[in-house]
Amino acid sequence: MDQFPWLSFIVFFPFLAALLIPFIPDEKGRTVRWYSLVVGLIDFAVIVYAFVNNYDISSSGMQLYESYTWVPQLDLRWSVGVDGLSMPLVLLTGFITTLAILASWPVTFKPKLFYFLLLSMYAGQIGVFVVQDMLLFFLMWELELLPVYLLLSIWGGKKRLYAATKFILYTAGGSLFILLAALGMAFYGDTVTFDMQALMAKEFPLRLQLFLYSGFLIAYAVKLPIIPFHTWLPDAHGEATAPVHMLLAGILLKMGGYAIIRMNVEMLPDAHAVIAPGLVIFGVVNIIYAALTSFAQNNLKRKIAYSSISHMGFVMIGIGSFTNLGLSGAVLQMVSHGLIGASLFFLVGATYDRTHTLILDEMGGVGRKMPKIFAMFTTCSMASLALPGMSGFVAELMVFVGFANSDAYGFNFKLIVVMLMAVGVILTPLYLLAMLRDIFYGPENKELIEKEVLIDAEPREVFVIACLLIPIIGFGLYPKGLTQLYDAKTVQITERIRTEMFAIAQNKTPPLPIATTPLLNAPELGNSLGKP
Amino acid sequence: MESAEAIYQYAWIIPVLPLLGAAIVGSGLISYNEATNKLRKPVAAFIVSLIGAAMTLSILILVSQLQGHAPYTYLLEWASAGDFQINMGFTIDHITSLMLVIVTTVAFLVMIYTDGYMAHDPSYVRFYAYLSLFSSSMLGLVVSPNLLQVYVFWELVGMCSYLLIGYWYDRDGAADACQKAFVTNRVGDFGLLLGMLGLFWATGTFEFDLMGSRLTDMVSMGTISGGLAALFAILVFMGPMAKSAQFPLHVWLPDAMEGPTPISALIHAATMVAAGVFLIARMYPVFEHIPTVMSVIAWIGTITAFLGASIAITQNDIKKGLAFSTMSQLGYMVMAMGVGAYSAGLFHLMTHAYFKAMLFLGSGSVIHGMEEVVGHDPALAQDMRLMGGLRKYMPITAITFLIGTLAISGLPPFAGFWSKDEILGSVFAVNPVMWAIGWLTAGATAFYMFRMYFSTFEGEFRGNDMEARTRVKLQSLQMAGASMGPGAMSAQELEVSSSAHESGDHHHAEKPHESALSMTFPLMMLAIPSTLIGLVGTPFANYFEAFIHPAGEALTVAEIAEEFDMNEFVRMAGASVAISVAGIILAVLMYRARKIDPAAIAKKIKPLYNLSLNKWYIDDIYREVFIKGTRNLAKGVLNVDVKIVDGIVNLTGFVTLVTGEGLKYFENGRAQFYALIVFGAVLGLVFVSGLT
Repeated sequence: MDQFPWLSFIVFFPFLAALLIPFIPDEKGRTVRWYSLVVGLIDFAVIVYAFVNNYDISSSGMQLYESYTWVPQLDLRWSVGVDGLSMPLVLLTGFITTLAILASWPVTFKPKLFYFLLLSMYAGQIGVFVVQDMLLFFLMWELELLPVYLLLSIWGGKKRLYAATKFILYTAGGSLFILLAALGMAFYGDTVTFDMQALMAKEFPLRLQLFLYSGFLIAYAVKLPIIPFHTWLPDAHGEATAPVHMLLAGILLKMGGYAIIRMNVEMLPDAHAVIAPGLVIFGVVNIIYAALTSFAQNNLKRKIAYSSISHMGFVMIGIGSFTNLGLSGAVLQMVSHGLIGASLFFLVGATYDRTHTLILDEMGGVGRKMPKIFAMFTTCSMASLALPGMSGFVAELMVFVGFANSDAYGFNFKLIVVMLMAVGVILTPLYLLAMLRDIFYGPENKELIEKEVLIDAEPREVFVIACLLIPIIGFGLYPKGLTQLYDAKTVQITERIRTEMFAIAQNKTPPLPIATTPLLNAPELGNSLGKP
Repeated sequence: MESAEAIYQYAWIIPVLPLLGAAIVGSGLISYNEATNKLRKPVAAFIVSLIGAAMTLSILILVSQLQGHAPYTYLLEWASAGDFQINMGFTIDHITSLMLVIVTTVAFLVMIYTDGYMAHDPSYVRFYAYLSLFSSSMLGLVVSPNLLQVYVFWELVGMCSYLLIGYWYDRDGAADACQKAFVTNRVGDFGLLLGMLGLFWATGTFEFDLMGSRLTDMVSMGTISGGLAALFAILVFMGPMAKSAQFPLHVWLPDAMEGPTPISALIHAATMVAAGVFLIARMYPVFEHIPTVMSVIAWIGTITAFLGASIAITQNDIKKGLAFSTMSQLGYMVMAMGVGAYSAGLFHLMTHAYFKAMLFLGSGSVIHGMEEVVGHDPALAQDMRLMGGLRKYMPITAITFLIGTLAISGLPPFAGFWSKDEILGSVFAVNPVMWAIGWLTAGATAFYMFRMYFSTFEGEFRGNDMEARTRVKLQSLQMAGASMGPGAMSAQELEVSSSAHESGDHHHAEKPHESALSMTFPLMMLAIPSTLIGLVGTPFANYFEAFIHPAGEALTVAEIAEEFDMNEFVRMAGASVAISVAGIILAVLMYRARKIDPAAIAKKIKPLYNLSLNKWYIDDIYREVFIKGTRNLAKGVLNVDVKIVDGIVNLTGFVTLVTGEGLKYFENGRAQFYALIVFGAVLGLVFVSGLT
């Protein structure tokens, strides 16, 4: 270890700083919020500095790697590292969490606890993305749930306890499967190890891979979420406050996508080759189903929550596409939705602070009183409906082109999937524009105007949105600026899974009965879908 | 040649200049709202001079292209994954240079006009920012070197159109219209995206020429079936169908008239709606080798031309009338493209851009004048039943409007004659039935345009007739009420009679006045091309076709002139002039001389009249089928989600069930089958609960 342990510092610094919060003499939260903001900024600056100086984007391997023995009896090691997959997400986490701290300026109820939890989340989230040991990963995954649970149950809306309990049961229940699968992987074969790199090198039989894959998938399906494991999300989002919202949509959902690529795809490529068509189908269901539910929703927060689910469908299809472009699009979609989702939820919060209602029917015509919020909301909605020039468009386009040109699927299957994905292109503006129409357009709603003080956006709010819009538009105009950061890694993953896929596809006399159901059955499915 | 090269290297500045303007003004509005809003004239001058600079550069490029400079393309790697890359850039060739000049000149004049038209609007500055943003997107579209980039800017102009239609966002009409425009266009983009992906899958490129040649090769070699190629091409054509308001995706265009008139002229008449025709021209290498697609395009165009004209006949709102006329003229262009009359279609695009922009700006001038009398109520200020005799008060507007009317009616030597005649001539050679429909439509066009001219500018001024005002207002409320369901507006209807008189009490003037110079100057400028520009494309000296032609069909002016047959020209032109004159005479008899009572005719053919007045009930059908259908479906899905999916979750044991079931199927190896069952079950539940 000849260099400074950057990653360990990045993970521990916010947490250690959070431990000092109780000792800060401050009742109203004024000092604490500045303190937290500075901590967040320092950590983000360190992240950027460390990556700029020590990260080589042309390499696909683990970088800034550190490994220390922690519990030798269990062979538990504190090992952290980043590669092209985690690096953009660590950056995103630092960025969004710092902005979330800025977004929590108006929090006055128990500010010390609130900021303590936010900073702990900062540490936990980055931890999930950087740890390179399965047990540590499980620990981090669980650790980061606790602050969310508390943030939901103390500062949430009216049904906050129900939402928080549902959230914790769902995610904790799901994460049990991570532990089971991790143990299974660790104890298989000659050596017992939890190290991800070592596990990646292990060869598992296909049948075991399928079990492990399903286990992981259940846990990550809850997080991403994949329908029908999504119902915690509208509740949690419906009750959370704006900053928690930003973290939930901006980062927590991305953990699901990250973990699917890291574990399911990288470690269990054979199983991935078998299950990927299912992933694609679920992705399509996500896109359409969630877009329709969002359209029917009358509650603003739930509407955006469902829109997040819908957008995650593209991540799944990208992962299941077996192409560079598709996988690259999936990672881009995660980063892009992190930014766009956070900005939309922040604006929802800002709107709620003024109207004090989330029911769309009770709003209407507030555009005249709040032109800046109107303008920002329109811009972010446009970003969310994948307007070209913004990052969401590039990500969705890459998934579209990648999947359409994938050689892993038959023509009919691709045709149907691409068509259904494109239906999402019609549905997304439907619900987003209807939402804007309900909130801002039309004659002023007299009841609302009389009851509430509708002031326009303050500079802090404009600043937060501007910070989010700069990368959204920047990556939209020049996506290569982002994709080149992780390109080496996604190329390496795609190569690996494509080799496995073709090996399975060509293996006409498989040793296991299971392998008779390879991905190349997918065209049949397409046919059966096409002929009802 | 040094300087000529420099113009090409810096051609990217043309779309960037207005973007810069929009960005600066936009950020000013967000960060220093009040200060920026006070800088009305400086902002306008800034934005207008930027587009002026873009216009100058465009004209230089056109001149250079006319002199025979080779096309220029610049590409930049935009996105990449592994060894796969997508390029963006710009290309300058004949058609691009022509479109650049059309867009910048119309945009320049419309921006000058805006200063007068929007003078009293509180959001004057925001309007200029939008206009500039739109100009930038539109210019980006015409310089696009490949289909993907066209799609990018295609969406962006759609977004600008959304913002501008919804500019008066506190009006319900505008709010609904902008949403309708965006969603309808997205339906078209759905097809465009799928077609684009399909063509890319087949040919591995987004370049227009390569796409065409590779696709043709593949079809002839049998690598992909001709049907599939046709499917992709028709899907791509769905984009132009929505953007250029072709049946059945035309419904958004008339509603888009809720936006301020300058944008009706710029976006919904001259430039953006013509983008569809431009894309067809760009996709010509693909389309022209697939006969099915060409005839689909031709027929869609023909139907649209007829449909638009048949509806325009009965419209009372001056802008709606012009909107349907635009739709009909776009139908002509698409029809021309479909029968292979490439340069005729683009020629009509150019002439139409100028005369229709002028007509719209003229209608804006009329509305501006009317507002002085009837107040700021679009239902009253735009209704032709309250106009009449305006020529006395607004002579410049009247004369320019008359020029536009003559041009669109296709009387020589005005611009519309040459382009429309060329289209009809080409259509006749391909399909006489199509020609007959186009020919009848030409007659209807002359009729409704002169009806519009006479009701607006001739006869007695009716704007001070309070009874007529109340009647018009009531009717417009009923029309709006019909779309919201019976009884919805009854309370408002009761208020009308009192409010109509009220607004009559404090109107500003008894008589309308001619608009300010900033508004009449663009009208006069546009009158020049509307009269003369057709002369560049006369059949005996067709400079236009020598310049604009499909790849590989280059002909010189002399060669085209050789093919020219005077007898045939006289026959074709004679027929179209004759039917136009017939239409004009009918309009004179009905609306000028008042020898025939239009109301009596309307009564005699009541069903037909109602069909036209209600726009063939297409909007109503869409509302019942698509809008209500989607809403019900969405409600059904939400019900399933809340009651069934979440219900099961709340009953624990769900997880065990799914894992158990899932693993069973996984072991059988039928993962996809399992997924299919879940998907099928969800869909089934959706339909069941959607029905109940």
